[in-house]
Amino acid sequence: MKTVRISWAVMVGAAIALSASFASAQVNSGAQPITLNAKLAESLTLNLSANAVNFTLSAGSNTNAGSAGVTATTAWTLAPGRNNVNVYAYFTSSTAALTDGSGDNIPSSAFYIKNNANPAAALTNTVVFGGANAGLLLANVPITALNRTANRTDAMTFNIDLSTGTLPQLPANTYTGTLNIQAQAL
Amino acid sequence: MRMLAKFGTMGALLLAAILFSAPCRAQVLNSGASPITLNAILQDSITLTLSSHAVNFTLVAGSANNPGSTGITATTTWVMKPSVNSLNLYAFFSSSTAALSDGAGHNIPSADFQISDNGGAFAPLTNTVAFGGANAGLQVSSVPIRGYNKTGTNSDVMTFNINLAPLPNLAAGVYTGTLTIQAQAF
Repeated sequence: MKTVRISWAVMVGAAIALSASFASAQVNSGAQPITLNAKLAESLTLNLSANAVNFTLSAGSNTNAGSAGVTATTAWTLAPGRNNVNVYAYFTSSTAALTDGSGDNIPSSAFYIKNNANPAAALTNTVVFGGANAGLLLANVPITALNRTANRTDAMTFNIDLSTGTLPQLPANTYTGTLNIQAQAL
Repeated sequence: MRMLAKFGTMGALLLAAILFSAPCRAQVLNSGASPITLNAILQDSITLTLSSHAVNFTLVAGSANNPGSTGITATTTWVMKPSVNSLNLYAFFSSSTAALSDGAGHNIPSADFQISDNGGAFAPLTNTVAFGGANAGLQVSSVPIRGYNKTGTNSDVMTFNINLAPLPNLAAGVYTGTLTIQAQAF
């Protein structure tokens, strides 16, 4: 009887020892770190569908439409802290937006842009780019967490108003100028 | 008389034999056997080494393909006990929501971090594994341990990608994080 008890005790002890052996079988390696560094750079790009517009002027007329509209596509990826994207149109001079090179000029106040569904507006404001009183804010986009990466389009049509001031007496000639479109995030 | 002489000679010879044989028998002397217990331990072990500890990413907003600048090879070497059946290699982050972060509350989750092992398909770190945060891990590989590979080595060539398609409005910035590689045998 005593021998049987001793045998059971030995078997239980062996079972415990075996289970302990299996429990300790899990082995881990050391943890090896990999440092990750990912950069998403800020960007702001603006592309135009065309880079030239012609006008056939009619003396004294307030309606001298451009030959083609131009669509500006502005795309951006912005960092936190940016709150707005603005799109501007401007000339470098308000008095000589277009000139014949002989002292005869068309001022920026006679140059109109109709952007998307907005009414046509003359370039008479001082904006962040260009000459004083020679610009126009075309669009303003508030930036939130939902549009830090986004794009917008501004479909512009153009008109030259020759009906005001001395412009009805504008000499016949070819008038050239450069209208700039530029975006700014701030 | 002769008989007496013979007996005398024989007796002398016998005595000499006894005298010579006694010292010979006394030279064989054995000590008791002294045992030496031998205990040799072949410790189970796993070592993991990485070919590099840093990966850079140049991110493109909204793009699904932003590969890491370099692949990394993890070499796992092991010596296992008979009770071990598998050796698994894991990759993990400590957090599933902020695998990489700009430190300003903008994060890249582990679900958008992908690893390709040995040319296989890219897989995101979305599982809960033996190490790291919940839903922030990936079992990179598993090696069955049998009698023939109780001691062995395995190489995992890992390449990395960040998928920004689900994060189109991620703010521009520098995002950093730590990916950890670790092996476990059980």
